[in-house]
Formats: sequence, structure tokens, C-alpha cells
Amino acid sequence: MTALAVARPTLGAWRSELWVPVGAVVVALLGGLALVAAAGVSLPAAVAAFADGAWGSAYAVGASLNRAVALGFVGLGFIVAHRANLTNVGGEGQIAMGGIVSTALCLYGGAASLPGPLAWIVPLVAAAIAGGVWGSIAGVLKVRIGTNEVISTLLLSFIGVWALYGCVQSTRLLRQPMTDSATLPESLEVPAATQVPQIAPSLDMPLHAGAIVLVLLAALVAVVLARSLFGLRLRAVGLNPAAARRAGMPIGATVVVAMFIAGAFAGLAGGFMLQGEQLALKARFPSGYGIDGLVVGLLARGTVKGVLASALLFGFLRSGGIAMELSAGVPSAIVLVIQGLVILLLAGSAWWLHRRKRA
Amino acid sequence: MPEAAARETLLAIDGVGKRFGDLAALDGVSLEIAAGEIHGLLGENGAGKSTLCNIVFGVHRADAGAMRLGGAPYRPGGPADALAAGVAMVHQHFSLVGDLSVVDNLLLGQARGFLRRSEFAAEVARLSETFGLALRPQAIVQELSVGERQRVEIVKCLMRRPRLLVLDEPTAVLLPDEIDGLLRVCERVAASGCGIVLVTHKLAEIRRTAHRVTVLRHGRVVARSDAPADEIDRLVRAMIQRDLAGAAPALRAAVGSDLRTNGAAAAAPKDAGAAGVEPPGEVVLRVEGLGLRDADGVPLLEGVAFTVRRGEIVGIAGVEGNGQSELVAVLSGATAATAGGFRVDDAPMSDHAPKTLTAAGVGVVPEDRHREGSVPAMSLALNLALSTLQRFRRWGLVDRAALAGEARDRMRAFDIRAAGPDVPFASLSGGNQQKAVLARELSLPGLRLLVAAQPTRGLDVGAVEAIYAQIRAAADRGVAVLLASSELDELLAVADRLLVMYRGRVMGECAASQESRPRIGAWMAGHAA
Repeated sequence: MTALAVARPTLGAWRSELWVPVGAVVVALLGGLALVAAAGVSLPAAVAAFADGAWGSAYAVGASLNRAVALGFVGLGFIVAHRANLTNVGGEGQIAMGGIVSTALCLYGGAASLPGPLAWIVPLVAAAIAGGVWGSIAGVLKVRIGTNEVISTLLLSFIGVWALYGCVQSTRLLRQPMTDSATLPESLEVPAATQVPQIAPSLDMPLHAGAIVLVLLAALVAVVLARSLFGLRLRAVGLNPAAARRAGMPIGATVVVAMFIAGAFAGLAGGFMLQGEQLALKARFPSGYGIDGLVVGLLARGTVKGVLASALLFGFLRSGGIAMELSAGVPSAIVLVIQGLVILLLAGSAWWLHRRKRA
Repeated sequence: MPEAAARETLLAIDGVGKRFGDLAALDGVSLEIAAGEIHGLLGENGAGKSTLCNIVFGVHRADAGAMRLGGAPYRPGGPADALAAGVAMVHQHFSLVGDLSVVDNLLLGQARGFLRRSEFAAEVARLSETFGLALRPQAIVQELSVGERQRVEIVKCLMRRPRLLVLDEPTAVLLPDEIDGLLRVCERVAASGCGIVLVTHKLAEIRRTAHRVTVLRHGRVVARSDAPADEIDRLVRAMIQRDLAGAAPALRAAVGSDLRTNGAAAAAPKDAGAAGVEPPGEVVLRVEGLGLRDADGVPLLEGVAFTVRRGEIVGIAGVEGNGQSELVAVLSGATAATAGGFRVDDAPMSDHAPKTLTAAGVGVVPEDRHREGSVPAMSLALNLALSTLQRFRRWGLVDRAALAGEARDRMRAFDIRAAGPDVPFASLSGGNQQKAVLARELSLPGLRLLVAAQPTRGLDVGAVEAIYAQIRAAADRGVAVLLASSELDELLAVADRLLVMYRGRVMGECAASQESRPRIGAWMAGHAA
């Protein structure tokens, strides 16, 4: 009856599953504080700046949550593809593609004249499709000529990011009209009708409706992965392609669709970031989100709950880190080191828990 | 007949135990091996033979008990310690570099500083002559037969002048003639004073060479014999806990008790069992001029043509690596033939996808049940329905209750032993995994043809019997069966007709009877009979 024992962890096991990762984060933050002190920054100032930036005001909380929502979308896509043993590292380019298409539709595609909520929903769907197409290119390459998707998504990501640069640099593309030599290389602000509604406009908290969409899609992904035929196919293809092929499963189609979904979630993140927060397309708009989203997906260890938890963690961590850098003068390198420590310790604690469970 | 002799004890194993998780692989095993003795270690798969060998060779450490080698405490920390103490082992899987010559392979493990090829070559020649190991020192390993490669491994051990040589299932991969040669080598090595542990589950080999025998079952010593040749029946009973006389022919074939002795008896019950069945009907599988070349144009299959009829079991015999795997790969849709093709019920199937074959009623038990036959990390229930999962779709989701219900039916019908339908496939024993794969394929809707490759490899005797009973029952229901196996005795016991493959061609075809054995042996070795 060992199988049953594995299926139902004891209460103690549950507790350690919760406390070990929390402990890992705490240890990483303490290590980070030591580094901050070593860099000659006053600790209270740094901590205050971090708290202020992460959750110090309604505005800070909203910004952190918006960041978490974007990372959550990228992370959800990542775990879908990862079920099929595919690693999508091209989130950045897929976000860029989503942002480009969303901006183009909002500003010049006539989305603003669509009735009601369709004005902001249609550009979002288009952004998801754009990201999905960008992701599925890597899937097609893998099926047709066996290109490793880690390499192809990474290279496609560069293309996507530089396409974004091109779009905001040229007035014939998406750059705002040049009125003087100081006109920034970014697009016009998207029309109000195409902006994603805010959840709590009265609270002065910039939290857009993407949070609700994320929760709904997370539930959908959880059901699809665990209960649908497609979810089982993803697992079978990921765990044993030879057996999946022998069983008559459409391996090529599964791989392409999985990569499409991964890209579509990243593209959707791009659409929400643009239409919900930033409103104008800027050259560095997806910067860091692709890689953070990848890390969120990896730390989630394949579960939707894990994606939501690590997206929240990283949303607040990033916002606090940026504030620490801006207002307390902590070198950005140290902020990145702290984030690296969190990742390493979390991954290490997961490995440790796993090993202990088996022993 | 080997004589039992009282010699000085070389290796004393005293109460050795070893656990892997919850499984006690060895439990209080004690035995003694004398210098100059061939000690047979007998047991079914999973009885603990390989674990014991690995403890002696230092791969695993014992959890309990102690060993003494030549009177001194012996507790190897790894294979290097074992080799230094004079214990060498020939594994089931060889570790040779194909592109290098025999001498260079031997130099690999032992060279220090400069390579002394000529000295080594002379040493190889000397050992070859002393022990009757025909080997050409300059031959490239890749071009050698399996038997020759094994001889290289043995020479590799002998060059270290071991006191104890462990051979783990050395005869499983050999041709009948090569088995004779190997046993002769063992006798000569033992005569030189070296102790030999010969692991096997073939009784004929024990009868011929072993001075003493220890029988393991479920990790314990269940029988010993100082005169194994006279006590074969008692040893078999201990090994399988059943009487051989009452056992099915496939079971007797699996332990090889009939090997070249009273073989005719083995065929009789099969014919009796088949007597009530109508004679084979229409052709189900027709293979026509099938050819396959690899990317470099090297032919793997050439001009293979045969038929399998309704209700008939056709066996494919041959030494492994002569095209059987490739033939099954083509017939299961894993590989596209480069010439010719095959028909199922007169519909051309060449180069068709597995899905089409499944729809045409072709079930496949792949050679490697982990690689192609299952997804070990998924549940038993899912693996039992892997190729027909869409049948369980309801409201767009998979109906787990129906899936589990059908899995329970299959588990009952095929005697698959597991804690429940939702346990991971990987947690099942090898025999139950194979039964599950077979259950899935035999339960295909509209099954017409079953292609099974090495369905009993690595299984214990009881599972072998169950697998063949199911295959025989399917044939009696009218399913055409193509069965590839390197266990000739099993094929002779189960099949109606045999094809013998050699280097990608069908060398000959004959009835599956003991009288055909000399012809089959010649075909397996590449001689036209």
C-alpha cells in the first residue's frame, strides 16, 4: 500500500511543503540584506524602500499585482508547453509581438470603434494570436527539422524584441508623429475605449481586469491539464514520445499546439501590459518579463497553483527591487543577485523536499 | 559430468542482505565458492541473482552480513576494489568500444603510460590458447559476433588473473554452438584454479558444467546441491515452486530443461491443445518483398516475404540483431519500408501511421515495453487505454471513472497485479507491466493481427507462462499472431510455424517441432540447410 501513502501525504508533509519554500525565501532575503549592507547602503533605508515599492501604497500594491498578472500569464503558458517536455524561453519576444499587434489594432486597426468591451477584447485576442504564432514557429521547426525549441524560441525572441525596436523607431510604423527633436521613440497612447478597465478605479490602485482573466484562465488550464484528453496527450508526448506515437497520438500537432499556447499566453500578457498599464508602446516594454515569466513557470513545478504563487512572489519582489534601486540607491546588480538567490534557494528546497519524500 | 570436489573455500558469503526501498532483494544469503569450482547460481528473474553478483563485484553494498575472500574480510567499496582483490565480472551488457580493435579495447582499462600493444597482443594470444578462446587480437570489435565480443570481455577479465570470475547470464545472448564453447571455456578457467559463479536460469547448462548449485527465490537461498546433475528436478521445484512435469510446455521451454534432451515431448501438448481448433484460415498478414535500408544505405531487411493466417502463430527465430527488430518496427508503423510492403486483410499497409494500423486491427507488443509500449510515469489505467483514449471522452473531459472501471476489468481478465488502476505503471513488476501491454493490445476493438516482439524478455517463469497462455488463447479466437523471440525453446513450444532470420533475410521456414532444431540452428548461424 505504498502507492496510497505516496498519494496522500501526511499533515506533516503538507506543512513542510509550505514552510520549506517560505523559509527559503526568508533566508534568501536575509542574505540579500547582508549584501545590501556590504554595499554600504543603510539597511533600514533599503528595507523601507523595498516595502514602499512593493506594498507601501495602494499604487504600489496595484503595480505589483499587475506585474504578477503579466508574469502569471507567461508562467501558465510555460507550464502547458512544459507538460509536453517543451521549454519556452522566448517569452520576451512573444510579449513584444503581442504588444506590437495590440498597439497596431488599438491605434490604427479601428479597434476603438468596436462596440462596448469588444474594443479592448479584440486587440487582446489578436495579441494572444500573435504571440501564439510566434511560439508555434518554434513548434513547427521542431516537428519538421528537429530544431531544439530552447534555441529557436530564444533566437525568435531576439527577432521579436528587435522588431519592437523597429516599430517604435519609425513613424511609418508605430512611432508617434515627430513634433520636435525630443519626441520619444514610442507610440501614441491607445484610445480610452481600447484600454482594459480597472478593477478598483476609486481606490487609486492601478489593477486592471487582467487579474480576473488570469484567475479564470488558470482554472481552465488546471482542468485541461489534469482532466482533458489534450492534457493527457501533452503528458504522454512529454514523457514518452515513442509510446505516444505507437499509440497513434498526433505528436507533431501536439507539439505545435503546445508551443502556440505557450506563445499565446505570453502574447496575452503583452496585450494586458500595454492596454492595461503602459498604454503606449515603448522599446523596452517587455524587458525582463520574459525571463521572469520563465522562472515563474520553472518554480511552479508544473502546477497552476505554483504559477500563481510564484507570480505573486516575483511581482512584489520586482517592484520592491526597483524601488530599492531608485530611492535607496542599492546597485541594480545586488537586486538581481537577491532575485537569483531566491530562485536558487527555492529550487534547492524543492529538490530537497522531493529527495526527502523519496528517502 | 562434473565431479563435486572438496576444495579450499575462496569466497564465503555469510548472511548477506540487501534492501531497495521496501523490497528485500536479498535476505540472509549464505554460500561458499571454492577455488576451481563452477558454482551455478539459479533462480527466476527477480530472485536476486544479479543483486548478489553486484554485491560481490562491489557495485552495491550489502546492508547486512559479511563476506570473506581467501580468508580475509572482503567488503569492496566499488568495482575497482573488487578487481584489485581479484574478483572480475562479465556483465550481461558489454562495455566495448566498437571502433577499436580487440587489443585496444583490452588496453583501455589497463594501460598506464605508454601503450604496449605487442605485449598485450601476445598476452591475448596466450590466454586465447590456454582457455580455448578463439580471438583475433587485431579484429575490430564492431565486426565481431556477439559470442566473440563476450570472449573479449572474458579475456579482459582473465588478463587481471582473477581468483574469482562472475558471469551474469552469459548464455542469454549466444547461439547454441557458442553456448557450448562458452561452457568449455568456463571448465578450463575453473581447471586453472579460478572460482566461477555462473548465473543462469537454464538447467541444461547447470546439468553440464556446475559442480555445485545454489538456488535463490525471492532473495533467499531455497536449495543447494553438491550434485546438481542428479537433482535437476528438485532444483527446479525449488526455483519455481512447482512441478515441472505438470507445467505448460512454454514454462518448460523457458527453463530450458528440454534443451537437446527429450525435446519431442515438449511439442506434444501444444498439438493436443491445438487439436480442437479449426485449421488456419485465410491470410491476414501478407509481407511482400519487404526491404529496409538505413540512412547510409546499409541493408537491414532484404526481400522478406511470408504470410500469417487466421488463428496461426508464426514465430520469428534468430540471434538478436538479425533484422527481427526492424521487421517489427516496419509492421508496427514505426519505420517506413524502403522496398516492398505488407497487407493486412488484403489492404495495403505500407508506410502507414500507427493510427491506421490500429484501425485495421493490428495490435503490437513492442520489443521495449518502456520505450514504446508504455508511459511508465502515467497510471496503469491510462496505459491500458493509451491507444484508445478518445473512447473515454465525455463532455470534452476524460471520464476517469469509466477509465478506471475498464482498467479493473482488464486487471481481472489478464491477472495484472497492482494495488489499483491509478498506481503509476512504473510501480508494477516487469511481468505485470508486460501483461498490461499485452492486455491493451489484445483488447483492441476488431483485433486481426498481433505482432509481438520478445514478449517474455526479462520475465519470470510464471509470467512467461501467463503471457503465452494469453497469446495462444487469442490465436484460438482467430487472431493471427507473429511472434519474434530470441528464445528458440519458447518459440518451439508456442508457435505453429517458424521463420528463421539471418542478416535481414528469411533463411528458412519450417514447422515448429523439435525435429526441425538442427535445421533451425544452421539457419540461425547463416548456413543454408
